Amino acid sequence: MALYSQPPMSYTQEPTTAPVEHRFNPYSDNGGSILAIAGKDFSVIAGDTRQSEGYSIQTRYARKVWQLNDKAVLATNGFAADGTNFVKRVKQRLEWYEHAHHKPMGLKSIARMIQTMLYGKRFFPYYVYNILGGIEEDGTGAVYSFDPVGSYEREACRGAGAAQSLIQPFLDNQIYFKNQQPEAGSEKFVPGNLPLSTVLSLVVDSFTSATERHIEVGDGLEIYVVMQKGRSADDLLDEKKLAPGLKVEELGALGEGEGERTFLVRQSLKRD
Amino acid sequence: MELNGGSVVAMIGKDCVAIASDLRLGNQAVGVASNFDKVFPVNDKLYYGLPGLATDVYTLKEHLRFRVNMYRMKEEREITPKTFTHLVSSTLYEKRFGPFFIEPVVAGLPTATELDPHPKPFISTMDTIGCITTPKDFAVAGTAQDKLYGVAEGLWEPDLEPEDLFETISQTLLNAVDRDALSGWGAVVHIITHKEVITRTLRARMD
Repeated sequence: MALYSQPPMSYTQEPTTAPVEHRFNPYSDNGGSILAIAGKDFSVIAGDTRQSEGYSIQTRYARKVWQLNDKAVLATNGFAADGTNFVKRVKQRLEWYEHAHHKPMGLKSIARMIQTMLYGKRFFPYYVYNILGGIEEDGTGAVYSFDPVGSYEREACRGAGAAQSLIQPFLDNQIYFKNQQPEAGSEKFVPGNLPLSTVLSLVVDSFTSATERHIEVGDGLEIYVVMQKGRSADDLLDEKKLAPGLKVEELGALGEGEGERTFLVRQSLKRD
Repeated sequence: MELNGGSVVAMIGKDCVAIASDLRLGNQAVGVASNFDKVFPVNDKLYYGLPGLATDVYTLKEHLRFRVNMYRMKEEREITPKTFTHLVSSTLYEKRFGPFFIEPVVAGLPTATELDPHPKPFISTMDTIGCITTPKDFAVAGTAQDKLYGVAEGLWEPDLEPEDLFETISQTLLNAVDRDALSGWGAVVHIITHKEVITRTLRARMD
């Protein structure tokens, strides 16, 4: 009977607390950086392999750069879960295209498709910055960069991700020759004509610099090199010409293979 | 920092140092002046830059001029870069709970003394409350800080001669401020050597 021995407290006298709002946040930022540079007859797409959340490292090896077909490589940066899922769906659309048209999709068409796929989720976006690199139908190296909702542009180079602010002004200087002028009488600087060895050195320097000053960048570096069909790969495969610490491996043709070749160059970065 | 904008960078070379800044003064996104110098001389071997809140730039500059003049009269000698750094630092820490919104950069060549016949070129930088760091390569501060870090890390190398150091610091500053909306609108570079100080105003993008 103890239950009834006290008079029931009226609701107006009950202690009140502010309502606690619980809300699921569907996004997160997984750090890291990506970068791509176009050459005359090749394209270089690179990314580090660290994946972090806040001050914690989730893994020292997570892929951010993906081979789509023999002439296209896609780098994703931002929210890793969205990135992997987005790549999965892009690959699926490319497969459907091959079944329908009996040929792989061209680079500029992949770029336009990515725009429509990203804009299709305009009001619940993939939280991902994409950079697409590869060989155009005319054989030239190309780089396309995207924002999370599909705004895109073809460029000679682009950096993105956590260390974009460190990398991009360096690239402006070294790739676009910004704030530089040729000596009197010598040839005009034209962006996108640098030799592969120079481009590789710039990519490695960009990432070692970013690793030095940015906590979310480091661990490993993966550089994909896509080459025009018929181009000699001696400058990449000759060990003497390559900087020490770089390991090259050729990735076999996907499907039929039309002659373009893709190589994967790896290097380790500082882990601290 | 983001009210008025502006950036400063300093670098060490072989028996020389360089310090450079942009010339913009803004009111948030609006440009107000393109002749706002943020780098000042203490003597012909020691310069310092004050990027940050413009009103504090003037206050701190005059305050430091007063304290350096007092030091000169009492000690009857020029202040060394290291001592000057500690002078700036303690001045900033005096305002620990209501700080000057400035991140100073100091660059100087210490003169040879009996105790130290071969002094090394000196640069230092501080946060808003005077915590000192003395790098052996370069120091950056201001709204383009992260961009300056990226370019400087890529371009700088040890033991640059004065003219090479000039090229390195100029390219670093120009390419960094071109990617920063709050910095730019011209730039000025000082190269400090034992012989002379070379001051050059750079032609820059004005957008």
